[in-house]
Amino acid sequence: MIVPVEQDAIAVPRTAWWGVVRVLTILALQNRADFEWQRQIKSKSLYFVLTMVAGLLLPGHAVAHVSQQGLVLLLPTRFYIGSGVLVVLLTLALVALLPNEYSKRLFGSLRLWVCEDSQLRSVTSVLSTGFLFFLIYLGFTASYDPLENPLPVFIWTVWWVGFVVLQGLFGNLWVWLNPWSGVASIASRAGLASKHSLPESVQQWPAIIIFLAFISFSLADSAPEAPQRLAVIVTGYWCFTMLGVLLFGVKWLQQAECFTVLLNRFAQIAPVAKYRDELRFGLPGWNLVRCKATTVSAAVFILVLLACGSFDGLNETFLWLATIGVNPLDFPGRSAIVFETVAGLLIANVALVTAYSLCIYTGLLLANRDGYLVDSSVPAVAFKQAFCALAVAVVPIAFVYHFAHFLTSFMVNIQYAVAAASDPFDNGADLLGLGSYYVTTGFFNTPQSVKIIWLSQAGAVVVGHVLSVLIAHAIAVELFGSARRAIVSQVPLAVFMVVYTFIGLWLLAAPKGA
Amino acid sequence: MAVGRAQRGVIEDSFLRASLLDFAWLSASTAGRNQTLMTDKIITSSNISRRTALKTLGAGAGALALAGTMPGMIGCANASDEPIKIGFQVHRTGIGAAYGRWYDRTTEAVVKRINSEGGINGRPIEIIAEDDGTDPKRGAEVVEKFANKHNCDIAFGTLFSHVVYGSAPRAGELAIPYFVVSEGHHVASGKLNRYTLQPGITDVKSQVEAMAPFIAENLGKKVTMIFPDFAFGHDHRDYFSAAFEAQGGQILEKIAIPPTETSFSKYFPKIPRDTEVIYHVMVGPAVLTFVKELGEFFGPSRPEIFGFIDSLEAVDLASPGLEFLEGTYFWEGNPRYAQAEQSEFDKVYREAVGVDENGASVSDAKDVSTYAHMFGCWETLYVVKAGMEAANYQGPKDRQKLIEAVEAMTDMPHSFEHPQGAKVFNGKTHQTFGHQYISKVTEGKLMLAHTTSIEDTLYEDEVDYTKMSF
Repeated sequence: MIVPVEQDAIAVPRTAWWGVVRVLTILALQNRADFEWQRQIKSKSLYFVLTMVAGLLLPGHAVAHVSQQGLVLLLPTRFYIGSGVLVVLLTLALVALLPNEYSKRLFGSLRLWVCEDSQLRSVTSVLSTGFLFFLIYLGFTASYDPLENPLPVFIWTVWWVGFVVLQGLFGNLWVWLNPWSGVASIASRAGLASKHSLPESVQQWPAIIIFLAFISFSLADSAPEAPQRLAVIVTGYWCFTMLGVLLFGVKWLQQAECFTVLLNRFAQIAPVAKYRDELRFGLPGWNLVRCKATTVSAAVFILVLLACGSFDGLNETFLWLATIGVNPLDFPGRSAIVFETVAGLLIANVALVTAYSLCIYTGLLLANRDGYLVDSSVPAVAFKQAFCALAVAVVPIAFVYHFAHFLTSFMVNIQYAVAAASDPFDNGADLLGLGSYYVTTGFFNTPQSVKIIWLSQAGAVVVGHVLSVLIAHAIAVELFGSARRAIVSQVPLAVFMVVYTFIGLWLLAAPKGA
Repeated sequence: MAVGRAQRGVIEDSFLRASLLDFAWLSASTAGRNQTLMTDKIITSSNISRRTALKTLGAGAGALALAGTMPGMIGCANASDEPIKIGFQVHRTGIGAAYGRWYDRTTEAVVKRINSEGGINGRPIEIIAEDDGTDPKRGAEVVEKFANKHNCDIAFGTLFSHVVYGSAPRAGELAIPYFVVSEGHHVASGKLNRYTLQPGITDVKSQVEAMAPFIAENLGKKVTMIFPDFAFGHDHRDYFSAAFEAQGGQILEKIAIPPTETSFSKYFPKIPRDTEVIYHVMVGPAVLTFVKELGEFFGPSRPEIFGFIDSLEAVDLASPGLEFLEGTYFWEGNPRYAQAEQSEFDKVYREAVGVDENGASVSDAKDVSTYAHMFGCWETLYVVKAGMEAANYQGPKDRQKLIEAVEAMTDMPHSFEHPQGAKVFNGKTHQTFGHQYISKVTEGKLMLAHTTSIEDTLYEDEVDYTKMSF
């Protein structure tokens, strides 16, 4: 599509203040209305608020493909959305009727076999480090094309999408493959083990800050996939983290290394997990119920995961682009909206933490009050206790949003990853014997395949929410001691999850423009 | 064979990108130092390049020896085995990624062909692809990297107009020829500079204006226009209405649709009842919905309908809802479906890029190409080749000679180099002009109904870049 631009679109850099104000106030948008369509949209009251609420709930697409989106718009998505919401509602009704014992048993686990920590972990970690160094080398020296160079396709497609999903499905693979613990083990044997550690009070706040910086880079930078730029960043981050581990011990990975924190959380969704010296099996999420967040920062990290994933989807939609005054059919490029993107990301995080907090607070008000509905003999639950414990319930939602959001881009870019693996040095090699190899997006062009893709995304979103409802109830029963109190406490969070499901699915069907 | 270099037949400059130290050094160095280092590296790596070049050019062809006898191959006496480095500014990510994939594929195909024919002045082409993110600021950065870091001879490629707008000034400042395949009117409008040229694809103004005679003579004199309410739609509105009225036609209504709109039924009652032709240029994800609702609105009795294939570029015409388009007309930059009278040039071009007779990938019949636009990459690189050979281009010091050589071009005959059709290049406006195709949807395929003359596409010059200093 050839889109002649308006002249003012050339002057893309805008002031930070203007950008933030633009995101924060609908009035600023109204003042910049250039066309009737903008004025129509911007004149709607509460538009911005609705957009932000919707934005928190959106799984989206990383790859815009007109045909796919066009076909999605023709799908009977209202029916699908209604069905999805109904499933979540029925789950809520079911857990309300479920006796306490069943709720607890639901997330019990069975012992598979005894399983001790293996020394091999250090070996595989060192090998992983070597592989990462090799990729970094290729990032610096192989193709400048981000879809041909092995580093970006590995980092953004194989690892950030594929590996993260595998982690949630099959458990903690990262403990074998993270590129720091093996080197740390060697350093420890060499007598270089640090006697220091980060203060407990630091908790996981560093991981939250680093994760927000990472997401900001991935969403707002104009070329996060540029091989050499990415190689510099990956090198810098590996060195920074290694230094942290050497100075403060491997606990650094649990407090400051955001990907370890994230991957450990997602691994707790998997049906198989290691507990003490046993490998155990249970309903997906059983390990989340066991490993509730114990600190505020651990809970906030989970909420940040969800908020960032949701905003990642929102920022491509017509809805968001119109809100920040950008024509979705004439997207001016990421560099034109850096401040809007970062400001939106931060606002999304604050909004989600606030919404969750309100749900918890209101739920406690209901559950802790005296009256015939509740058993006043059971002690009141503190806000911090409930805030931390229940946060793990949203981990499955964050996980399925990650899957749903990146599914389409993964389907395309994994093909480039295969090609890059076949010719890693960009010298014309064909190590995998691919022959004539053309990347395709044909599956975005037929109603049948688009329907399957969309339903896979929507199905994952619904399953994630169902799991979250079950986990939240199981934890609430533990917290409040009685089923009645647990149910009452869950009312606000249940409303939150139903609304989340509805708007999330609705926005999954929304047109994208960036 | 993996996607990329092998298909492009490029020469590996292994030393240039040999080590992290090199990168660090390059990053920290001044431009002057960069130049020195790169020159050293290129000289050092010449043996590797020669080996790769010979392999690429094809041993059986004896390409270097034959190069001088090949059509268009002149001035090979001083041929060097150093590659001609062409910086390829490509939409790998961002809103233009679907186009970028096919631009990349076409570029690989044409480079492979040119190299197999002996390259340019006996030198093979090396493509250095960088993603512009479909972002003007990033686009300018990429052009700067081509000039200062990769030591490219020229920059080439990009499609979306705002990226061209953002990049062209930097190309001018860095004095690097910038060959765009954008289709926008920006080049011929005089808003850019002497270093920016568009010799391989016609511009939107000539395309739109050339439609007016056909519509007035064959479809009807009373037109209602439906277009998205932003610059793209406004250009169609302004160019077409002026040209159509000059043909004695009448624009009954101009219906602007908000870009965020995804349901269109409420706009259709605005279409006057005496409309003979609907001219539509809707774009974006709601296009299928637009067509479906238009079909529901009119039912079996509809006026004539004319659109631009931009609406459905890379979209399968077998998509649901598009049945309504049967019997309607589309502008096509290059016919997607191989026609009965397909030229041998289109046949070769189609095969080289890996596109079947329906305009889809040979490896996946549902992977529809951007056939109406991507030929521009093929033709542009052949213009570059012709220009460099005419200018006896040796290196960056000859960039101005290259531009002057291209400016001196006029007729570009229908050929393997120009498979879309014959063209006339206007050196003053840096814009090429060529035939436009109007196809009718027949049994779900676009069948050629009319080919405009080149004269239909011409308009008054709006600039004379040749009078600008370098």
